[in-house]
Amino acid sequence: MALLEVHDLVFLFPRAKTAVLDGVSLSVERGERVAILAPNAGGKTTLARWLAGLLPDGVLKAERGHVSMDGKDWTEWHIAERSAAIQYVGQVPSQQMTGCAFTVFEEIAFGPCNLALPEAEIRARVDEAMTVCNLRHLVDRDPFTLSGGEQQRLSIAAALAMKPRVLVLDEPTSNLDPESRDDLLAQLELLPGELTIVVLEVALRPSLALADRFLLLDGGRIAADGSALDVLTHPRCIETLGMTAITEAAWRIQGAGGWESGRPLPLTLDDALQTLKVPDAVR
Amino acid sequence: MLSVDDVTFSYVAGAPVLADIDFKVAAGEVVAIVGRNGAGKSTLLRLLNGLYQPETGAIIVAGNATSDTPVHVLARSIGTVFQAPEQQIFNPRVRDEIAFGPKQLGLTGAALEARVAEVLERIGLLAEADAHPLDIDQSARRMVAIGSVLAMQPPILLLDEAQRGLDKAAINRLSTIIETEKARGTAVILVCHDMDFVARQADRVLGLAGGRLAADLPTEAFFTDAELTASIGVEVPDVLALSAALGLPPALTPAAFAEAFMAREQA
Ligand SMILES: Nc1ncnc2c1ncn2[C@@H]1O[C@H](COP(=O)(O)OP(=O)(O)OP(=O)(O)O)[C@@H](O)[C@H]1O
Ligand SMILES: Nc1ncnc2c1ncn2[C@@H]1O[C@H](COP(=O)(O)OP(=O)(O)OP(=O)(O)O)[C@@H](O)[C@H]1O
Ligand SMILES: [Mg+2]
Ligand SMILES: [Mg+2]
Repeated sequence: MALLEVHDLVFLFPRAKTAVLDGVSLSVERGERVAILAPNAGGKTTLARWLAGLLPDGVLKAERGHVSMDGKDWTEWHIAERSAAIQYVGQVPSQQMTGCAFTVFEEIAFGPCNLALPEAEIRARVDEAMTVCNLRHLVDRDPFTLSGGEQQRLSIAAALAMKPRVLVLDEPTSNLDPESRDDLLAQLELLPGELTIVVLEVALRPSLALADRFLLLDGGRIAADGSALDVLTHPRCIETLGMTAITEAAWRIQGAGGWESGRPLPLTLDDALQTLKVPDAVR
Repeated sequence: MLSVDDVTFSYVAGAPVLADIDFKVAAGEVVAIVGRNGAGKSTLLRLLNGLYQPETGAIIVAGNATSDTPVHVLARSIGTVFQAPEQQIFNPRVRDEIAFGPKQLGLTGAALEARVAEVLERIGLLAEADAHPLDIDQSARRMVAIGSVLAMQPPILLLDEAQRGLDKAAINRLSTIIETEKARGTAVILVCHDMDFVARQADRVLGLAGGRLAADLPTEAFFTDAELTASIGVEVPDVLALSAALGLPPALTPAAFAEAFMAREQA
């Protein structure tokens, strides 16, 4: 049994003419690091909310299909049980704030407090989450006066402190500076291997650092599911999301006849350095 | 068009977020502001548009000092797309949101309609004109915020992370908007963490670090100074790193890289 299972999900917003999700089926195994790529308005945020059990919500429901974790439909889960199992971090950090915390510490502690954990456990969890997300120096600050990137790291820390089995992250590095982005991705790699992470992305580069399995959501369906190379060089992926700068450079060289046919296009700088056999000393 | 003269600003007395900031931006220039999270980029934009006042120093926007010009008057010369567009969207339809600014400027009737239609086309949301701005996806909402500012035709345009999370078509649309504005003589200031985008769009880069203006250089000179970029915490575009590793002349874009690569192959 897969950990998370989406079965033939069809979903439309009220009054909408076309389905955002038009027969999505996918499953995620325990410990997988998956990136779901789609263009703007492609349904990433909507699918993320279904994956995390935030839909159906009493108003919005599916035309068809369902989503389950551990083989149990999300509608059968109690909310406390669900929020300890899976956490969704949305793409707009300010909207992720609880609104009832005066400090960064309280914001991160909010979830664990609601699970009625012992105080020592709460403090330990907040501490760990602050380390992973580099927030120690901001511990006493008001969440609403943080900068965009600081607030995004806080929204992720608050989810981590719940120690969920699955993290669903909607464009988690969009506000981070390059250093912070690489730091956060490296810290996520260090988390226990059994933690399952699903990221929803438009940006190709950060997803390459995090995921080893890629899905392309196109026209409300899963159009590709495979390795980075399979999916990032899929024609529909290139059409809607473009290429990484490195892939585009190689592709232009290929067009000019300077790249042996059959040699795979590089996705990252490291790929390119390797294919072009640049000695380590020069790197 | 814009001049910032020795500006200092702090949220908490005695701990300045920005100190001794000094630069000018000319009409038709595209300037990127880069720096780590918390470096003070968004704060600087709020000083430029008059939402905050400098502690010391002065800011002159299109001939008006921000210290003695009301924010709504400044808004005619400087338009801001904030980092979180939710902070600036408040009308029930995309169309109304775009029309709001030009209406304040006194535009009515056919002229107003033409202005709104032109902007909807530029931001790619003609089909969503009657949708509620909160019923569309995030990136479309950002486009609404951009459109609401374009509709005022300000001579200075501030974009705070406007490129983030945009797909290929939307990035191209934003690039076209920046290029069109530049050609019209608009000064464009973009705060941006995406160095590929900076390398493609900016004429000049301002780097903030430790509360100071640590860099003010033409884009290529900025990115080819490894010590400087590292101290500001930004990466160089991947194609630039690759051109350096291959001993090619510095290339800031994939197209420039491919050209340099092929020139050497053929030599
Ligand atoms: N509350 C809503 N009511 C009606 N339509 C909606 C609502 N929320 C989203 N939509 C529509 O559903 C589609 C998918 O939106 P969604 O936010 O899931 O896309 P996305 O891939 O996350 O986009 P982005 O890259 O901009 O974040 C879009 O066409 C959007 O306009
Ligand atoms: N009201 C406030 N009180 C105290 N500190 C504040 C306040 N508002 C902002 N700050 C701090 O000032 C610093 C600069 O914030 P600013 O939003 O300008 O950063 P930024 O460069 O835009 O960062 P990002 O890349 O994350 O958007 C940050 O460390 C922030 O936490
Ligand atoms: Mg989204
Ligand atoms: Mg900012």
